[in-house]
Amino acid sequence: MDPFEQELREQLQARSAPGGFADRVMARVPHGRAPRETFLGFGLGFRQPVWRWAVAAVLVAGMVLGGLEHDRQQRLAGERAREQVLLALRITGSTLRDVQQKVGARDERESFSQKGTVREKDDQ
Amino acid sequence: MDASPQEFRAIVERHQARVFSIAYRILGESGVAEEVAQDVFLELHRNLPRLASEEHLTAWLRRVACHRGTDALRRRAARGGMAAEEYQDGMALRPVVRDFIPLMNRVEQLLLTLPPQQRAVMLLRYQEDLEPEDIALELKMPLATVRSYLQRGVKMLRAKADRTLKEYSRG
Repeated sequence: MDPFEQELREQLQARSAPGGFADRVMARVPHGRAPRETFLGFGLGFRQPVWRWAVAAVLVAGMVLGGLEHDRQQRLAGERAREQVLLALRITGSTLRDVQQKVGARDERESFSQKGTVREKDDQ
Repeated sequence: MDASPQEFRAIVERHQARVFSIAYRILGESGVAEEVAQDVFLELHRNLPRLASEEHLTAWLRRVACHRGTDALRRRAARGGMAAEEYQDGMALRPVVRDFIPLMNRVEQLLLTLPPQQRAVMLLRYQEDLEPEDIALELKMPLATVRSYLQRGVKMLRAKADRTLKEYSRG
């Protein structure tokens, strides 16, 4: 820095503000503490960047966990529905088998009784 | 940062000379400079929660004081005062100013003959003692522009100071 620049620096030291400057500023400042930054407009005070990151991380983690839980619930509901369908099929199969057996038994009885009647006629 | 009224007052008292000096040396009028400086502190009050440290706050005050000062200068030019471009043709001090200011205040008056942006750069360099790299960051200006402003500013001020000193010594 040459002598002229040094001179500039000396001449350009900060000058004092006019007397009562701070009083006049404070008279214009709204009362109370300086406003805190609001989060999503709900008035929660998150002033430091670290808090913002923490809040963002919690929100993201909440969304991820919520998504995973939603998937799990969907999968469980699917499994329950599958089991119910299988149970219904089993019940239907077993009922059909019973009906089939009953029908078979009745057919057998009828055919047996018809044979008996024919034999009686032949004997006569 | 967060501040009670007492803490905010302490901030104002700590930085008022810096902010007022920047505004005054850009505008050249005490009354308007005080108005601008007050507005800067009111803006600071609204933005205080965003400022994480004292260094951040100081840099913010410097930057906003420079911007509000040059904005006020533009408004004044638009109302019919001196246009910003008129400062660029190396104008001399007005005789009425030259005759009544003490020699030590002439640097401030010479500074007023520079274009507003260049004035802000010179102030941050010689009043606030910032390096060109820091000025470029604070005013969001290319480093080459800052260096050019400083180089040309010192050259112009030196030439004007020589001329003024000769006129002064001639009486």
